[in-house]
Amino acid sequence: MKMDNKKVMVIGGGIAGLTSALELARAGISVELVEKNAYLGGQAIQFCCKAADTCLQCSACTVEKVLKKVVNEPGIRVHLQAEVDKVSKNGNFSVKLKQVETDLPKDRQGDCDKDYDTDPEICALLNGYTKNRPSVMKCEGPCSFDVDAVILAGGFKPFDPKIKSTYGYGVLPNVISGIDLERVRRAYGKLVRPSDKKTPGKVAFIQCVGSRDERLGNLWCSHACCPYALRTAKAIKHQYPDTEITIFYMDIQNTTKDFPAFYATAKEAFRFVRAIPVDMYPLEDERVKTRYLDEETGEAVTDEFDMVVLSVGIMPSPDNPGFSELLGVKLDTDGFVEETDKLEKTKTSADGVFVAGTSCGPKTIPASMTHAGQAAREVLAYLGEAK
Amino acid sequence: MSAVKDYETQEVKINTRVLVIGGGMTAVSAADRIAGQGYPVVLCAQEKAIGLSAENRPMLGLTDTGKKSLEKIATSVQSNGNITIKTGTGITRAQGVSGDFTIRLESADGMTDEIFGSVVIATDFAFVPLKEFYGVDFSETVLSQSVFEEKLAAQKDSFSGKTVLFVTGLAQEGSPLVMERVFRSVLSLTETPGCTPYVLTGDLKVASENLEQIYKLGRDKGAVYFKVGDKPEISQDGKKVVFTDPVLRQRMELAPDILVVEEAVAPDPYNLRLSEVLRIDMGAEGFLQTDNVHMLPVRTNREGIYVAGGARDVKNLPESLMDIDNISNEIHSFLDAGVFPAIRDRAVVDEKKCVICLTCYRCCPHGAICWEANRAVISVVACQGCGICASECPQDAISLVQYRDEEIKDQIQKGISEGEGKPRILAFCCENSANEAFEMAKDFHMELPKGLRVIPVPCAGKVDHDFIMTALADDADGVLVFACHPGNCRSERGNTFAKWRVEEAHRMLGAAGVPKERLAFATISSNMGREFVRIVKEMEDQIRAL
Repeated sequence: MKMDNKKVMVIGGGIAGLTSALELARAGISVELVEKNAYLGGQAIQFCCKAADTCLQCSACTVEKVLKKVVNEPGIRVHLQAEVDKVSKNGNFSVKLKQVETDLPKDRQGDCDKDYDTDPEICALLNGYTKNRPSVMKCEGPCSFDVDAVILAGGFKPFDPKIKSTYGYGVLPNVISGIDLERVRRAYGKLVRPSDKKTPGKVAFIQCVGSRDERLGNLWCSHACCPYALRTAKAIKHQYPDTEITIFYMDIQNTTKDFPAFYATAKEAFRFVRAIPVDMYPLEDERVKTRYLDEETGEAVTDEFDMVVLSVGIMPSPDNPGFSELLGVKLDTDGFVEETDKLEKTKTSADGVFVAGTSCGPKTIPASMTHAGQAAREVLAYLGEAK
Repeated sequence: MSAVKDYETQEVKINTRVLVIGGGMTAVSAADRIAGQGYPVVLCAQEKAIGLSAENRPMLGLTDTGKKSLEKIATSVQSNGNITIKTGTGITRAQGVSGDFTIRLESADGMTDEIFGSVVIATDFAFVPLKEFYGVDFSETVLSQSVFEEKLAAQKDSFSGKTVLFVTGLAQEGSPLVMERVFRSVLSLTETPGCTPYVLTGDLKVASENLEQIYKLGRDKGAVYFKVGDKPEISQDGKKVVFTDPVLRQRMELAPDILVVEEAVAPDPYNLRLSEVLRIDMGAEGFLQTDNVHMLPVRTNREGIYVAGGARDVKNLPESLMDIDNISNEIHSFLDAGVFPAIRDRAVVDEKKCVICLTCYRCCPHGAICWEANRAVISVVACQGCGICASECPQDAISLVQYRDEEIKDQIQKGISEGEGKPRILAFCCENSANEAFEMAKDFHMELPKGLRVIPVPCAGKVDHDFIMTALADDADGVLVFACHPGNCRSERGNTFAKWRVEEAHRMLGAAGVPKERLAFATISSNMGREFVRIVKEMEDQIRAL
């Protein structure tokens, strides 16, 4: 059941794109993997391990594992810093790629060769966050190929917290996003706040930043933020037992099937406040003050924190309208790629184009991987030889 | 010192028959898919009926086209020559290894032993009413969610002008699946003239497609939600419900015409039996498969045995079908054309030394070991090469061909005597985690102690007690044993074995007067380059201070 003569393009080198590329290659399909960034792994590769005394199943480490398999898989050709320029469909898809410039500071490369500590974040960007870098295959001149099907795994955009300006993101140094926190912990292996690189003693997580927000028209839960905030909080508490952690929330979402036990211990370790503060004020020593309505007393309470983490949600990729035009896939009213089948959730409105991962809606890492596995299987069925 | 070693493969013939366990649409779809791939399938259900009638989950939000396609699958399975259906049949015994399982199928008519290459477990959970928690009796006006849904489908008009109160997410944590049932019921009631739905709930579980929108739609149409947190006081007949409104901070009293009580999600009790018979790990809450990220979504600790949908978690039907597609990928890759490219002699048993003490059989996390007349036999198909058996074998009868003890001891010697840098620290690094973290640290130019020597092992479970003692006896300044975090070991228990061995070594070293700082155990994951450096440096500092 080898499908040696078939070829599929996977757009996007995040965890969904990597997983579907790998599954297709396992079935003997040649894969053209197109990634616009200079590195593979997308958002998920930037995430840090959240193990406390035990593994908390965030799945960040599995991204490294899949990435390693992909770069060692001869059936997958990786195009970095490349975008799909043109697609014409005449039976199969004729694809033309174009090169995109990376906006990473190339002049900083030298620093990272000597010492990663110079600027871990820049070095991580330059080094692709991972040791499992693909040998860069750039399109020299016009780069074209024909494929039999397409998997669109264009990923998501983290919510830009500057849109909710009263949080002071970008103004108050110690108000950071969940993604910033992931990067800091991955780069330094410890918890430090931006202003003085010291370990904060009192930390707040604010959930649903950008998600479940009627005013913004974002009527969706982002699935991943409660798990990442709770797991990160547990990891921090494990590493720094004296840290005081408060979680501001609307409704806590589940992690894995052991959630009841997990949540019970979390309730003992952290303060949960069912309220979402709106305004952040600067204090001396770059601390942050906020106000919220206390559920117990019904009164407004002020509280102060060394650092505030905004649990930003999963937004549709700004590239989706472009993909819609290029590939003929419809988008839903939220701007995600629309799945057209209620049961097999990788089909799109365009024949031969399948969707995987957060392109079509918020997902956690394992959910993206599962969805990507389904996309690969649907492609095999579409190619008619998946017996 | 290369972490990835060249190896020879050998082709092993494996059986391509697949056993699918379960009767709901997940199991039926699995049978349909796998038979469609060309593999003979036996669909074995404890229930008398299979297909849509055996499906416990309501078909939420499914269109008629969707229902028809499910019906089509359920019908086609009945007449598919590649599928044998056995209803009222359970699994009572399993022997052999991956690719060659002998499984006993038992029904009222008797039993048969059949051979299968692979097994798919697709049992379903049931919904159990929680009336005891709320202290109510069911009646015409106090209904479980399931009974309510039936009534709503049959006679929606009967709810006109009624006040309907749902209590959910208070007796148990809840899930998007349970929540979606309530949201959809509520939405339907808002379209019924004069009907006002109320919901008393804990956390709204909205982490599923479109749930927030369905919730919002219901609220916009007049449904009222109270997130009460605590259990309300409910009279036994369900006619009086008292609670505190968390927003107004007032005591509220409702007198609903109809009270709808939440149901608990109850995994199939058969899961426990299947776990014992097939020797796969149970997970939390009565579901199969631990939440080990290396197994997700559908793999288990045993090669060729997969879990899908409601067997492994609270999954709705589309999610369960996603699992089936992933299983199809796995089965395609595992069974292929009935020939498995196994690593030749991955782990071998020295026949002369083996006394069939069964230690290896008991400690193998992958169920890869069985025994013949006079020795243990390790299946090259099922073996994952972790080496736990080799380290645990009291007779030293098992060796991993790619990680022979002599080679590792040679690496220990060289690590101590060759090159520069003091203190000399030997770090045994699991290739799934610490060795990757070490590579990352090097790649990112992080500064590592000059005296660090890394010895890669396939799993921390392969770090023999003997390696630790040899290293220290041969004048290593420090020994570090790196394992994966608990719950993250690809072989489930390799890290636990490693920890025990280090603790044992600590006891012996303590008795011999060796400072405890010279031996340490640490857990780490593959993406923790920075932590790897920190742990090694901490040990270097401690040894320097001695």
